[in-house]
Amino acid sequence: MDYSGLDDESLLRLIAFAKTDALSEFYDRYSRLVYSLAVFILDDPESAEEVTQDVFVRIWEKAETYRAEQAKVSTWLTSITRNRSIDVLRRRRVRPEGHRVGWDDAALETLPAADLPNPEDAADKFIQAQRVRVAITTLPHDQRQALALAYFGGYSHSEIAAALGEPLGTVKTRIRMAMQKLRSILQEDRLDV
Amino acid sequence: MADEIHVTDSLAAYALGCLEENEIRAVSEHLATCPLCRAELASYVELTAQLGRSVPQTEPPAGLKQSILARLQVSDAKIAAEQEPSWWERLRSRLQGSPTWAAASLVLILVLGFSNLLLWQQVRELQSGVPASQEQLKTVVLDGSAVAPGATGMIVISLDGMHGTLVVDELPVLDESHEYQLWLIEENEERTSGAVFSVSPDGYGSVWVGSPQPLISYAGFGVTIEPTGGSPQPTGERVLGGKL
Repeated sequence: MDYSGLDDESLLRLIAFAKTDALSEFYDRYSRLVYSLAVFILDDPESAEEVTQDVFVRIWEKAETYRAEQAKVSTWLTSITRNRSIDVLRRRRVRPEGHRVGWDDAALETLPAADLPNPEDAADKFIQAQRVRVAITTLPHDQRQALALAYFGGYSHSEIAAALGEPLGTVKTRIRMAMQKLRSILQEDRLDV
Repeated sequence: MADEIHVTDSLAAYALGCLEENEIRAVSEHLATCPLCRAELASYVELTAQLGRSVPQTEPPAGLKQSILARLQVSDAKIAAEQEPSWWERLRSRLQGSPTWAAASLVLILVLGFSNLLLWQQVRELQSGVPASQEQLKTVVLDGSAVAPGATGMIVISLDGMHGTLVVDELPVLDESHEYQLWLIEENEERTSGAVFSVSPDGYGSVWVGSPQPLISYAGFGVTIEPTGGSPQPTGERVLGGKL
């Protein structure tokens, strides 16, 4: 059976029936996303490899728990990857002051389109990622910094406030405003398409 | 009440996971009763996923996919080794833990299968004059493949080996265009259809096995997924298999 023509939800249903070929196709579609996010959060290819393995094994074991009405497949997968990576980060006991991962200029540079099996899919993903990067460049540095610590480090408001030496209310406001602005920009982009 | 105080200002942080424990509890309680805030939260959850998709893309190591697939097989084998009870343990478990109707149907399936075979043996005994009680029914256990690792099956074969009943458990329910087909496999790998069947919503099924030659003369048995009505030869994925 050719699984490449199936949508993500159908693939997950087949994975729930223990179809390894379906998981193989799912891996081809999403391994780059999972591995890239894990590498970015952990800054360590070896740990990212372990996280990627864990994520796909979890998909294999928990595919039947996916609910399409709650989130897109890629959203669900990104959430699992981020949470698993942050778990590893917490075990390392990295404090916010020592956390170097964030949206620096290099990370926000225009990147080549992903070399995925489906060129249209690759181009679409590239355009979406590029929109997000452009939106992030519009954030003030202090908002971007606080948001990066929350998203990539998994730190709480109070941990971020302590690390930055800022009042708790200030950090809460920065993160909230950053998220509101990003959402607004990306929603407008979607309407323009 | 949902309309008392909305938690809009906390939803972005809730989606990011940067609230404190007591704040998380308060927001969760409100979300349980407020569709407006749930919709608002969904937009922030999608935004967090977009942040994840925007990081620089890195190609995974070449052997990673094979490592994952190998780990799945090890994991499945481990689960099977830890959880694989005997057929009778599985049956007993079903009878103890399942709804009454499920247990009753399973018992009925087995009773019908065995009574058919015993009836046939009595006829044979009367014809031959040889007491059947001196012999035993043959059984063949079928194990689930990687496609259906939780599935199991059993063929009970009559004393003369000419008839049998197949009982299966925990096979996935197929769509209307597909059915399961039992294959009787000879030493030379030639396959003959033994039955075409479907399973109940719980994955149970039983079917009488017909054979042009004694079932005990075959080397093994397999069950595949085929188009409805069956195929002249196997075309689909194998879900169960066992050797005599």
